[in-house]
Amino acid sequence: MSNGVDEPVLQLRNITKRFGNFTAVDDVSLDIGNGEFFTLVGPSGSGKTTMIRMLVGMDRPTGGDIVLRGQRINDVPAAKRPTCMVFQSLALFPHKTVGENIEFPMKIAGVDPARRRARAEELLVQLRLPTDYYSKGVNQCSGGERQRVALARALAFDPDILFFDEPLSALDFRLRKTLEKELKDIHRATKKTFVYITHSLEEAMVMSDRIGIMDFGKMVQVGTPYEIYNEPNGKFVAQFMGEVNTVEVARIGDKRVQSVTDGAEFAVSREPDNFERGYLIIRPEIVKIGRAAEDLPNKVQGTVYNDYSLGSRIQYQVRADSDGYQWLVERLQDEPYEGKLDDTVRIGWRPEDSILVSD
Amino acid sequence: MQPGVRAAIPAAAFLLIGFAGPLLMVLGYSFMPPRTFSLAQAPTFANFISIVTDSYYLSFVWSVFLSLIAVALLLVISYPVAYGMAKMFGPWANVVTMIIVVPLLVSENIRLFGWVLVLLKNGIADGSMQLLFGVQLPSLLYTVPAIVLGLVYVYLPFMLFPLVIGLSMVPDTLKEAASDLGASRLQIFREIEVPLAMPGIMIGCMLTFILSLGSLAESKILGGQTVIMIADDIESAFTFAQNWPKGAMLSVILIVFSGSLVFFLFRRIDLDRIIGRR
Amino acid sequence: MQAGKKNYAKPLIILWTVCIVMFLYTPMVSVVLASFSKKRYFQFPVVNWTTRWYEKAFESLSVRDLLTTSFSVALLVTVLSVVLAFFGALAFARYDWKGRKLFQKIILLPIFFPQAVLGLALLLWFSVLGITTSWMTAVFAHMVWIVPIVTLIISIQVYSFDPSLEEAAVDMGATRLQTLREVTLPILSPGIISGSVFAFLLSWGNFPLSLFSTGADQTVPEWLYAKMVSGYTPMVPTLGSLMMGGATITLFVSYVAYTLYRGRQKRRLT
Repeated sequence: MSNGVDEPVLQLRNITKRFGNFTAVDDVSLDIGNGEFFTLVGPSGSGKTTMIRMLVGMDRPTGGDIVLRGQRINDVPAAKRPTCMVFQSLALFPHKTVGENIEFPMKIAGVDPARRRARAEELLVQLRLPTDYYSKGVNQCSGGERQRVALARALAFDPDILFFDEPLSALDFRLRKTLEKELKDIHRATKKTFVYITHSLEEAMVMSDRIGIMDFGKMVQVGTPYEIYNEPNGKFVAQFMGEVNTVEVARIGDKRVQSVTDGAEFAVSREPDNFERGYLIIRPEIVKIGRAAEDLPNKVQGTVYNDYSLGSRIQYQVRADSDGYQWLVERLQDEPYEGKLDDTVRIGWRPEDSILVSD
Repeated sequence: MQPGVRAAIPAAAFLLIGFAGPLLMVLGYSFMPPRTFSLAQAPTFANFISIVTDSYYLSFVWSVFLSLIAVALLLVISYPVAYGMAKMFGPWANVVTMIIVVPLLVSENIRLFGWVLVLLKNGIADGSMQLLFGVQLPSLLYTVPAIVLGLVYVYLPFMLFPLVIGLSMVPDTLKEAASDLGASRLQIFREIEVPLAMPGIMIGCMLTFILSLGSLAESKILGGQTVIMIADDIESAFTFAQNWPKGAMLSVILIVFSGSLVFFLFRRIDLDRIIGRR
Repeated sequence: MQAGKKNYAKPLIILWTVCIVMFLYTPMVSVVLASFSKKRYFQFPVVNWTTRWYEKAFESLSVRDLLTTSFSVALLVTVLSVVLAFFGALAFARYDWKGRKLFQKIILLPIFFPQAVLGLALLLWFSVLGITTSWMTAVFAHMVWIVPIVTLIISIQVYSFDPSLEEAAVDMGATRLQTLREVTLPILSPGIISGSVFAFLLSWGNFPLSLFSTGADQTVPEWLYAKMVSGYTPMVPTLGSLMMGGATITLFVSYVAYTLYRGRQKRRLT
């Protein structure tokens, strides 16, 4: 699984972490490149937090090696590692001002006060915070400002790698979207290696150069956002992105599969090696409804059960006549369709738009 | 070593020497022959038998009886105040808390002595009655009600604060929901408030009961010699009577009795939830 | 209907609370009243007022001794208890470790324990160990009861402490000592301060533990008790009032100091 990176800064070799009988991280190997924005994604309990705690040095792996720039650092405690983490709670010191928070790592490192202050003000500017925030209490800052202070403090440490433990999860949707983009800008500007963890694949897609998806302590797939979206290697990854239609199928011929539940046959354009049985993944946004579906090779007939407005698009829930499966279909507002609830309709998609996975 | 273990060691070691050690010593002495001062003798049950023969059980019965009365009174007296502090007073609740905590920091003796001054013949109560109505009150000091008054007075905060914690653990939305579903005020009290506040109610009752049971100063200062409570008996066995094994035996009984109540209490409550509100 | 009922419930509850507060303060007011009464044996209403008993108290060398003993005990108890309780509170509420639940119960046990019995048990213990009781053993005895209480008070603060603050400091290279000084202690300081105040005042006023553990030395509450039981003198209410005065001053000074400190902190952080 460890796919080669030109210039790895951090290498994980068969990392395993057990708590008693429970295996939180199970034999994960991975290379993270220098200057890369790498995101670990997984549902809660997938082992991503345990993983990042080991990488930062707050937990020790039960097995395997963590290698930083060629040096094994398993037993190096967090305080001695040239890495720094932005915590989920941000961990800003409530009894210190914004300036004192940012200066903290430099104070620990013994930098003299004048240089500390200069650097802190530089970082305030870089993070688009007003410089008079220097003497403000952190509890007077808004959510977004606190994010930036936390990031400034981590940057003041000047780490080789910056880790992020879901720092945006407590913010509302719009602020999160803004900060995701800002974070990517900071990444470009600083050229540092960022390792980010989140439970939202959407968030990961926006920011990351590469994404690693974890489930039950295992690394399921590593790839660029494009690869993760278009070439998921399993049902888990495909469904993790959001709502998809999943049909359990068996192979019946060259690029032809048959639904296990109702026997309907579908054409596909690609097959995994040695494919026998698996799942056909069809994203709602590529499924056509009504007249638009008539000319497509893969078709299902059903009844419109409900419709939901998603803003720019409308989503329909269509119950298949044959096996009762609830299909999700989306169309853009301006695409023509005159159907009403309880109408019998056809839905369809092109073979090249569906994805066939083995498990 | 885990950091938690390291942090626990100083306090735990201290209590091992300062708490567990003395208790084991008391346990040891309770099996020594009466009126001896050494632990190096053949153990005997003589002391435990004397509970019945020397009617020591009487002071124990008195202690339990007076403590039960005190707890019942405390519950009734404190509940409205606790309710006000948990649900009504808002920011003033902190002020009320401060006002009620302050007397705790004044020596129990002094406060009980203040009651002596109130209850004394020609004291504040008697004197005011004479002044206002010309009536002379019967002797109030050195009576059983005076002891109960002392117990209620001294242990009031120990009932009140657990009740406040208990009642503040009852979400208002639940009561509103119950009311919305047609429950009467009495039904809300019985079905929602009391069950959810139960941990606090239990802590309050247990704490005040156990403290009353082991109280010494109240019966001595306000009760005179009217009633001998168990702690009185224990004290005089150790001091005037110079009968350590007997005092130790009485202590063991008191400790086992209160200890099992505490054990029962601790099994039923989650300290993290009550103290840390998590 | 609900609102209508609440309207009369609230004044009643407020009235009741006021009554309870008066009930709590009645004896203290009585003691102060008695201390200014000229009569050798207290009578109400007070006819003749005097400050003579206070003058006598301040002149008396034995009163000075009593106050010195009480003060020394309380001061030492405060310092030692807070140190033990600080770490105890971290073990109680901060760290997740295997024996934590058991530790919580054991540490709280002495609070539930009859103090008189605890005092006697300690007396027995000291005599078996061959230690002569004095005000120093009283310090030890007080601590058995006060360390758990202070642990509980600091724990309440520790529960609201975010452990990731310490982790963040360590992650940025701070040593254990630096983390303690820069992060843990300042954030937990309100709990530590209120713990100290409680430790001091509870020791200052303690009677049942002192009674059996001070030996030849005597604290003020012990002396008061002895005089109440036999050989009453008007110095009892006087010294009692002085004790309350001492407690009030301690409370007031620490409260003002703390408010000023918080105010400065707040101004600094705006």
